[in-house]
Amino acid sequence: MIFLILLSFVISTTIGILLTFIFFPIRKLKSVGLWLRFLIGAPLGMGLTSCLYFLCLLANHSGYIFAIEIMAVLFFFVFIRRGTGQGGVLNPPVILKFKFQWIFPMVFYGALLSSVISFIIATLKEPHGKWDAWWIWNFHARFIFRSAEHWRNMFTSALEWTHLDYPLLLPLSIVRSWRYSGGDSLYAPIFLSFLFTFITVGLIWAALSILRSRHQGYLGGLVLMGSPFFIVLGASQLADIPLAFFFLLTFVLIFIYDRLLEYDRKGLLILTGLAAGLSAWTKNEGLLFLALVMATRFAIMVYAGGWRQAVKEVLWISAGAGPVVIIVAIFKLQLALSDHLFAGMTMQQILSKLSNVHRYWEILKPYVLTGLSFTQGFANIRTGIHFNPGLVNIILLSVYLMLMGIRVDRKDRLNLLNAGAVLLLMLAGHFVIYLISPYELNYHLMTSLNRLYMQLWPSAVFLLFMAARTPEEALISKDVISSGEKNFKNKQRKRGKRS
Amino acid sequence: MDLPYPRMRLKVGLLLLLGLTLAASLNLLYQSGKAYPDFLKTDPVTIHERRINQIKGALPGTAAVGYVTAVDNEKIFYYERSLFNVEFLAQYILTQYTLAPVLVYNSPDYPLVVGNYIDGSPDVDFLKKNRLTPVRDFGDGLILYQKELKP
Repeated sequence: MIFLILLSFVISTTIGILLTFIFFPIRKLKSVGLWLRFLIGAPLGMGLTSCLYFLCLLANHSGYIFAIEIMAVLFFFVFIRRGTGQGGVLNPPVILKFKFQWIFPMVFYGALLSSVISFIIATLKEPHGKWDAWWIWNFHARFIFRSAEHWRNMFTSALEWTHLDYPLLLPLSIVRSWRYSGGDSLYAPIFLSFLFTFITVGLIWAALSILRSRHQGYLGGLVLMGSPFFIVLGASQLADIPLAFFFLLTFVLIFIYDRLLEYDRKGLLILTGLAAGLSAWTKNEGLLFLALVMATRFAIMVYAGGWRQAVKEVLWISAGAGPVVIIVAIFKLQLALSDHLFAGMTMQQILSKLSNVHRYWEILKPYVLTGLSFTQGFANIRTGIHFNPGLVNIILLSVYLMLMGIRVDRKDRLNLLNAGAVLLLMLAGHFVIYLISPYELNYHLMTSLNRLYMQLWPSAVFLLFMAARTPEEALISKDVISSGEKNFKNKQRKRGKRS
Repeated sequence: MDLPYPRMRLKVGLLLLLGLTLAASLNLLYQSGKAYPDFLKTDPVTIHERRINQIKGALPGTAAVGYVTAVDNEKIFYYERSLFNVEFLAQYILTQYTLAPVLVYNSPDYPLVVGNYIDGSPDVDFLKKNRLTPVRDFGDGLILYQKELKP
């Protein structure tokens, strides 16, 4: 059974990796670049195969999923383009050695081992995951799988309390693996949650290694693994970490896009759109994210490159997001019952809540407290939201940034602004949702706010390390760096002449 | 030339981050390991699932059942929303989770009704009022009821 579940992941990962070769044909990215393909490809493949499975369900052909996916693999294989481009284009200008640099990988791998063991213990404690896993995600998967051809029976008002408006990326990825293995074992959701948790760590490491420096990559991964709630939430089998992954991937791809000015890189925008689209297929918050990514990119490109460039870029992003958005739309229009947040709300009720000043304060206070404490774990309903900063949190990163200073590549400046704006607007969007929430405010905040923060945390950590000075820049004198940069540029020039 | 103070500041920044992230990661491992023996055989979902699974055999071909517990049905969600008691809702959710794809309605008005009494005992008056008679008692607070049709 485990072998067949692994086979389902191998096939979805192959589809994802092939896609990266089709849309991102620059090959020589050194070993970290190969990792990057896997880290991008595996979740993209998983998202795409869940979309494919949804279409098969709609057409009552889910039994043929294996054959359809094998055909998809062969189909994508035909479209792989020959690799182009020079090696190391994304790498930092130069890799320099400094004293005690071995500490970084040692601490990173130590924390990785510790986090993997913590994850395994958490899973052994609660193999079905936490509350929302068996209330929503795993329950939806189980119902669809066990209902076989009557899977639409799930979308009944009797089960509205299980949040039938939540998208299906996670449940259908689980169902698909169960289809392969022939039974609804716990291995599939466990493996899926493990994969998304550690692939997020891997992506932040690989992306920062390529875009900044290898040691910066280690630090980014360490901050995630040092945030206990990240590991705990990952092991809880909820959709928040997969969502956080797709947010992060969207930003990573757009940063890489802006670093590759001299190449045919529109494929990266398609992948960016696909990642943002898959976030909307993972959780409803992804819809807001997708809209914000497109709007802010458009606004920034109008400023930086003019209207034509802005329209062109947004169209390429839409080309990637479009197919997934259509699937989300089919799901929302045909199957999902009313949205649990807005069902039965009148405009008058909404306006009355928006004009209640006291409500703003009631939300703002937990917003600040949770903002400082969310890395530590789920809110305790007995003690309520309170200040519990722990060791790794936003304060630590602020202090670190102050000590290290900022050094931003010219090509990254607009992107940092863009991504930072998206994250802040996401928080603002959530604030408005709380303002008009039909639920008792304390209940709603306590059961969701720290998860909403955690959805944005990997992206925030990535942005911080994109801006912070790298350990190499910090520990090696400027003279050595500039001579290293010169050597690197000379090598690049010679390689260019030869080719 | 770099001044000694800024270089020291950078080193402090790096050591702080490396030290605290590793400490936080190891602390999580320590806390998880410490609580592990208590949890090993007490995963509540697995325990509930094992309990509720017994009832499956008594529901062949049934598409929907009702549900009753030690509190009124309308209080199950209310107690959770008011953070007064989340257990009743957890037990209801786990009953639905285990019996899927059978629909478990939070109501006593179905021909077959699952009685789940982990926290408390059945209310005789409530059962009488709703004309629920036990079909089978599975033990451990799990009872399958049948709803008598109106005379």
